[in-house]
Amino acid sequence: MSNNLSRRKFLKVVAGSGIAGFGVMVTGCKGESPGGKGWIPDQYQGKGDFPVALKGRVSIAADNPSIERDDEKCILCGQCIEACEKVMGVYGNYPLPLKKEVACVNCGQCSMWCPSGAITEKRNIKDVLAAIEDSSKHVVVQTAPATKVSLGEEFGMEPGSIVGEKIVGALKAAGFDAVFDTCFSADLTIMEEAAEFIHRLTKAQDEIPHLTSCCPGWVKYCEYFYPELMHNLSTCKSPQSMLGAVVKSYYAQKKGINPEDIVSVSIMPCTAKKFEAARPEMEVDGHQDTDFVLTTRELAVLLKYKKVDLTKVEDAQYDSALGESSGAGRIFGASGGVTEAAVRTAYFMATGSNPPDALLEWKPVRGMTAVKEATADIPGVGSVSIAVCSGLKNARDLLDGIKASGHSKWQFIEFMACPGGCIGGGGQPKADASLIADAKLKRIDAIYREDVNAPKRCSHDNAEIKAIYKDFFEKPLSEKAEKYLHTSYTNRHDRLFD
Amino acid sequence: MAVLVDITKCIGCESCSVACKLYNKLDFKKEPRNVKDGIIDLDDNNWTVIQQRVNKNDDIRFVKKQCMHCKEPACASACFSKAIQKDENTGAVVYYPDLCVGCRYCLVACPFEIAKYQWDEQFPQVAKCQMCDKRVEHGEAPACVSACPTGALTSGNRDELLAKAHKIISSDSRYINHIYGENEVGGGEWLYISDTPFEELGFKTVSDVPVTSYTKSYLSKVPVLASAWALFLAGLAYYNHRCDQNKKSDNDGKE
Repeated sequence: MSNNLSRRKFLKVVAGSGIAGFGVMVTGCKGESPGGKGWIPDQYQGKGDFPVALKGRVSIAADNPSIERDDEKCILCGQCIEACEKVMGVYGNYPLPLKKEVACVNCGQCSMWCPSGAITEKRNIKDVLAAIEDSSKHVVVQTAPATKVSLGEEFGMEPGSIVGEKIVGALKAAGFDAVFDTCFSADLTIMEEAAEFIHRLTKAQDEIPHLTSCCPGWVKYCEYFYPELMHNLSTCKSPQSMLGAVVKSYYAQKKGINPEDIVSVSIMPCTAKKFEAARPEMEVDGHQDTDFVLTTRELAVLLKYKKVDLTKVEDAQYDSALGESSGAGRIFGASGGVTEAAVRTAYFMATGSNPPDALLEWKPVRGMTAVKEATADIPGVGSVSIAVCSGLKNARDLLDGIKASGHSKWQFIEFMACPGGCIGGGGQPKADASLIADAKLKRIDAIYREDVNAPKRCSHDNAEIKAIYKDFFEKPLSEKAEKYLHTSYTNRHDRLFD
Repeated sequence: MAVLVDITKCIGCESCSVACKLYNKLDFKKEPRNVKDGIIDLDDNNWTVIQQRVNKNDDIRFVKKQCMHCKEPACASACFSKAIQKDENTGAVVYYPDLCVGCRYCLVACPFEIAKYQWDEQFPQVAKCQMCDKRVEHGEAPACVSACPTGALTSGNRDELLAKAHKIISSDSRYINHIYGENEVGGGEWLYISDTPFEELGFKTVSDVPVTSYTKSYLSKVPVLASAWALFLAGLAYYNHRCDQNKKSDNDGKE
C-alpha cells in the first residue's frame, strides 16, 4: 500500500465521514448541550417561584465609593439583602422602577454579613501607601474611637482589647507623619453640638428634636427617606471631617505647612465615611477635609503589608495639638456615646459646673438595645427627653412613629446606622463574626473602660480643645467655627421617589 | 417554558448573570469581551448580561439580555449541520457542540446578535444561553429566574405569561403597550414589558416576520435537490464505470 493518499481514497474518506455525519444527524443523535455543568445554591432548585428564605443579592453601583463586590466569590446566599432590608431598612423601602440611583447608604453591613468575602470596602490602601512614599506630602492620620477596641482582633487578640496606643505606634512605624485622635475632634463636635442643642432648645424650638449627624450612613438615610427632618439634623460635621478641616487650617497654620501638601487619612470602623469624605459639602477653602478613608480591616492589611505586628509594636502617644481626648470623646464609638458626651457638656454649658456622677455613668443610654430612652435633668434648661437609636431599620420604625403621632416626645435623638454604633460598623474586623453579638459587647465594654481611664471625662475640660478655641475658633458656633466645623445637607429624596 | 422580564422591577443586582455563570460553569475571571460605551454585551463567557441604560427622564433602567429563544429560530435554520435545534417540549433553542462544524452561520443569522464564538479556544464552540435546558426539562426555572430577588423575572407557560403581561399593561398606565418578544421575528419564549420605549433601552426594532420565512420556501428544497443531484451523479459515475469496463472486456476479447 502506498504511503501517499490517493485522490480517490481521500475523496472516499471525506464522503464517507460526511455520510456518517448526516446519518447521525438524521437519526437524532446530537450529543450533549453545553452548560449545566456547574452548581447552584440549594435554595435555587425547583421552580423559580418557590418560596425561599433568602435569595438574590443587593445591587451595588459601579461608582459606589464605599463598597464593591467580586462576583467570583458571590454564592448568591442572600445575606446581603437580608442585612440591607431587615437591619438597615433600605432595600425594599423605595419604589420601583428605579429613579436616579441605586439606593445605598454606604453602611457596609452587607460586607459584614457576606460569608464569602465577596463584598468588601472599596479599598484605598494603595492610595495611602503612595502618599506615605511621597516625601513631598505630609501625611496625617486620625483613628476613630471604635477602631481602638477592635483592630486587635485582626492580629489575633481578644475582642475588647484596647489597642489605641499600639495603633499610634504602628501608624508611626508604617510611616505616617502625624497621628491624631478622632476622639479629640469628637470632643470638638461635642462643644459645637452641645452649644447648638442648647441654642435650639432655648431659641429655635422648630429645630427640635435635635438629631445627631455624626453617622454618615444615618445622614444619607435621612436625606433619602426623611428630607423633612433635614433641618432637625445637627449642622455639625462628623468628628472625621472636623479633624480633617482642622488639620488643613489650624494645624497647617500652626506648623507652617501648605494645606495643599497635607494628605489627610482617617482610620474608621465604617465604609460610609468614604462616602462622607467625598461629599462636596466636606470642603473648606478648596481643600477636601479627608483625602482617604481606611476601614479597620484595611488598616490591618496595610500594617501587615508594612510588616508591622500590632502585638509587638511599641506603644506611642498621639501627636499634640489634635491628640488629647476626654472620656466623652472616647465613647463616640458606642451607641449612646454621643448622647452621653453631649449631655455632659450641655450640663456644663447650662450650669457652669460639671455633671453629677450619675451622668458620668449614664447606664440607660448604653448597650445594644435598639431604642433606648432617658431623661436628663439639666438645671436652667429643664428636663430633656432623649432617645438613642441604632440600626437604621429601628430608626425607620421610630421616625415613622413620630410621623404618625405628629410630634416627638424626645428633644434629642441620637442615630447610628449600625447596630450597637460604630463598634459594629461595616468596616470592622470580621474575625469574630461567628460570635459577633458577644464580640460587640466586649468592644462596648472596652469603650467605656477607655472613658473611665481618661484623666478628664468631659469634652470642655480637654486642654487642647480649650487651646483651639482660644487660638482659632474663639467660641462654639462662632463664624469661624461655622465655616470649618459645620455643614449642610442634600435632599436625596427625589433620587429614589417620584 | 417562557420567561417574562418586567424591566421596571429590575434593580441591577446581577443575581441572574451570576447564577448563570455558576450553573453553567462560565469563567468569572475573563474580562468581558464586548464593552461599548461602558455597556457590557454578551460574549462566550457571558450568556446573559445586565445592561445599565438611562431613559429620557434620566432614570436608570437595567435590561437583561440573553437568547430570546425564538419560535422560528434563524440560527437553527441557518445551521446546515443541525447543531442548533429548537426543543419542542421546552421551547429552548439549544446548541449541540458535537454536531457543530464551526461555520458560524448562526452568528450572522441571529437578528438579535446573540450567539457568540469562543475565539480564544483551540477547538472553539458557539456560546449562547441554553435556557438551562437541563433544568427546564425537569420543570425547574432557568437559573437566572430562580435567583431573581425582586420578581423582575418570572417563568411559566408562554400563553399564561402573555395573559399576565397584557393584564399588567392594561391595569398600569406607566407601562408602554408593547410586549417585546410577543411578535418580534415571529415571537419568542422571552417576553419583556417596560415603562420605557424599548428603542430607548437598546432593544432592536425588528420585523414581526420570522427571518426563516424568507428562505424556507426554497432552502427547504435544498436537501432533496442535493440528495437527488448526488444520486444522479452517482448513477452517472456508475454508468461511466460500466461503460469503461465493458469497453475493456470487449477489447480483451478481441485480443
